[in-house]
Amino acid sequence: MAADNLPSEFDVVILGTGLTESVVAAACSRVGQRVLHVDRRNYYAGNWASFTFNGLLSWIEEYKAQQEATSPEAEPGWRDKLEEGEEALTLNTVDNFISNIEIFCYVSQEDDEEEEEKSEVAPPTSAQSDELEENGTKEITTTMDEALEQQGHEGPEDKETDEACQSPQEEEPPVDHNQSEPTVDVKKKISYAKLLKEGRRFNIDLVSKLMYSRGALVDLLIKSNVSRYAEFKNVNRILTYRNGKVEQVPCSRADVFSSKQLTMVEKRMLMKFLTFCLDFEQHPEEFQECSEQTFWAFLQTKKLTENLQHFIIHSIAMVSSETLTEDGLRATQHFLRCLGRYGNTPFLFPLYGLGEIPQCFCRMCAVFGGIYCLRHSVRCLVIDKEANKCKALIDSRGQRISCSHLVVEEGYVAKEQRKSIVYKQTSRAVLITDRSVLPQESDQQVSLVTIPPLEASGSSVRMVELCSSSMTCMPGTYLVHLTCSSTGTAREDLGPVVSRMFYEPATPGDEPAGDDRTRPTVLWGVYFSMRDTSQMDSSEYHLPSNVHVCTGPDASLGSDYSIKLAESIFQKLLPDEEFCPPAPNPEDIIYDGDGNPGEGAGFEESPKSMGSTIEDECSRSRPEGKTSEQETETKEADTTEE
Amino acid sequence: MSMEDYDYLFKIVLIGNAGVGKTCLVRRFTQGLFPPGQGATIGVDFMIKTVEIRGVKVKLQIWDTAGQERFRSITQSYYRSANALILTYDITCEDSFRCLPEWLREIEQYANSQVVTILVGNKIDLAEKREVVRQRAEDFAESQSMLYLETSAKESDNVEKLFLDLACELIREAKQNTLDNSDAAAVPGEGKSISYLTCCSLN
Repeated sequence: MAADNLPSEFDVVILGTGLTESVVAAACSRVGQRVLHVDRRNYYAGNWASFTFNGLLSWIEEYKAQQEATSPEAEPGWRDKLEEGEEALTLNTVDNFISNIEIFCYVSQEDDEEEEEKSEVAPPTSAQSDELEENGTKEITTTMDEALEQQGHEGPEDKETDEACQSPQEEEPPVDHNQSEPTVDVKKKISYAKLLKEGRRFNIDLVSKLMYSRGALVDLLIKSNVSRYAEFKNVNRILTYRNGKVEQVPCSRADVFSSKQLTMVEKRMLMKFLTFCLDFEQHPEEFQECSEQTFWAFLQTKKLTENLQHFIIHSIAMVSSETLTEDGLRATQHFLRCLGRYGNTPFLFPLYGLGEIPQCFCRMCAVFGGIYCLRHSVRCLVIDKEANKCKALIDSRGQRISCSHLVVEEGYVAKEQRKSIVYKQTSRAVLITDRSVLPQESDQQVSLVTIPPLEASGSSVRMVELCSSSMTCMPGTYLVHLTCSSTGTAREDLGPVVSRMFYEPATPGDEPAGDDRTRPTVLWGVYFSMRDTSQMDSSEYHLPSNVHVCTGPDASLGSDYSIKLAESIFQKLLPDEEFCPPAPNPEDIIYDGDGNPGEGAGFEESPKSMGSTIEDECSRSRPEGKTSEQETETKEADTTEE
Repeated sequence: MSMEDYDYLFKIVLIGNAGVGKTCLVRRFTQGLFPPGQGATIGVDFMIKTVEIRGVKVKLQIWDTAGQERFRSITQSYYRSANALILTYDITCEDSFRCLPEWLREIEQYANSQVVTILVGNKIDLAEKREVVRQRAEDFAESQSMLYLETSAKESDNVEKLFLDLACELIREAKQNTLDNSDAAAVPGEGKSISYLTCCSLN
């Protein structure tokens, strides 16, 4: 299977399997283009990937190792593949989109049986990774101790993640999933060994986004029928952090009226304002005077209470205090329009994490004949000097593969082809915690939490809290994603918010006491910075005109940016073709030669051959759950016959 | 078509090396055809066949790899929410048998832990070219607690039995689960397909 050779001629070759690349791949393949889609990594979705817990640990190790490894001098093996009038253009071979990775482990790494050996707990160590800049590695000398001192904490963190993987795993009774009240005392403590053992239950996304139910991504999933490859969960709460407390934001009509935080007057005010926002364009007289002013100032002219201003700015419009009135109104309108399509918030989240979505588009591409090859790198592009076009590429096995168009993930572009090497960054943190920031009767909630800047100068932080039924974390835990635009390292940017909202044990396994018990305990966390290339366009690169760069992911909550980019690349490639028309519904496909001769004649009589395997009569009771839902999906899909 | 047209719906997913006959098995079962017409699988996501077993209507949704196995690049999402996996190898190809542990690792990593797995040795019509003796495969299947069956998509040997056995096993498990009513923590599939999510409105 490994010896299988790739075909040597394609219409479109795509490097990288992130969201934009995968959508372009699906779109091209769908309209009959011969697509080769490769990724040098051994997993799908590139910077959009999600990992199991153990997968993330080894990914971090490998990621650091490949950045420190000096890239081998490219053997000129490909030179003889070049012809007259051609030149080679090499690609970046090192993943450096992500930097400043720091891991913190707050659970005991001791086995329970070995409690008496606890004196041997290793002293705090540092495991800080650092971006390998073009001119070599620059060492960040801050040790973990210093970093923690700055936070006013002391605590060890985990370096030997890999060794810990080998630690013997004791049998533990399962954690009590059914508890609705976060009674920390009763709860069975989760050890590091337990996290490793249950590691495959985690799907930890590098990128944290939600899907606006009327956003470009959801529209595309529905239009193309790619939605059949994934399942989704409603985000059921919008929360905000205010005056040291987590509160629920009333956003739907029902929420507003049942809200206990709002007075009757406020309820009326808010409903009136939201109703106005839904079609604000129809009432220019209401906001035109303020069009030069900020949205915040505009809200003040509307005499909304401070309470309401906070909800609207931070949680509904989700804009900064500098945003202009019309942009704020538009953001509010978008939020309101998405509300109620699928649930009581405007958002959906894919089961198993966001990393599923690019893979769904890859599946669509493959179904229409696209060829997939992970762990496959490209040595160089072959450029026709005169036409300044990329006519082929040479892969790591020395095979020359020709193409009419090349679509490439931003991270593959070598520095020689970049006009600027200064990037915006996004700070990210992922925490595994023991309970929700706002426990309610149901412990299975997916929440968006908006956190206004803690200091006037800081940026606001977006937090998504996922429960285990989102299939991203083990029962008894929550997976918390924090995102903000960077001013420092991810730990510097997000550490203060984490310290405020969560309890970080000073020594692994410490129990919270006093006030700390009111906050969820962090069991494990990772911080990293991710490059945000979304503001860059083709003018930023020295590349042939038929090479198309997929930038992103961007820092915003939705994925509209990446989907629109994919559509615009597709239109450059194939201006006359439709973008992702619906794939036929398998149930509607009529095969030539018409099926069902002989064998297919139904199975009315109970097959004798298998009688022994049927223990008891099958009842007609319908199994609950997804089966009937899947049915509905295929039924409702609006498809065309090919 | 109303929801009453079947009692159970199961997603069955085929995996195994390229060329072992996965698509042939599916097309033989769903359409009674062999060999599958070239190009006919382009654009086909999965095939459907509704069977009736002792009065129980079972709708089988059978998913093929879309060629992604060729370079060992199957998406994880392919395994999600599968009720059963058919792990296929070619009895005339030692290599396809030796790759089975690799496939099992993928299953372990990405598939639901309760998934029913059946090992299938295909192409028994080519008996004279057999490279993997039956006993070896049976032992292997037993060691991995998998069911085992040998088939010929070409001669239609055991193909029907394969899918019907699976259907029976799945019915049995489904009944077991409803009987136990085991609140098995986070039940996979609590999520919903996009078109099913219900609407409620602000306006």
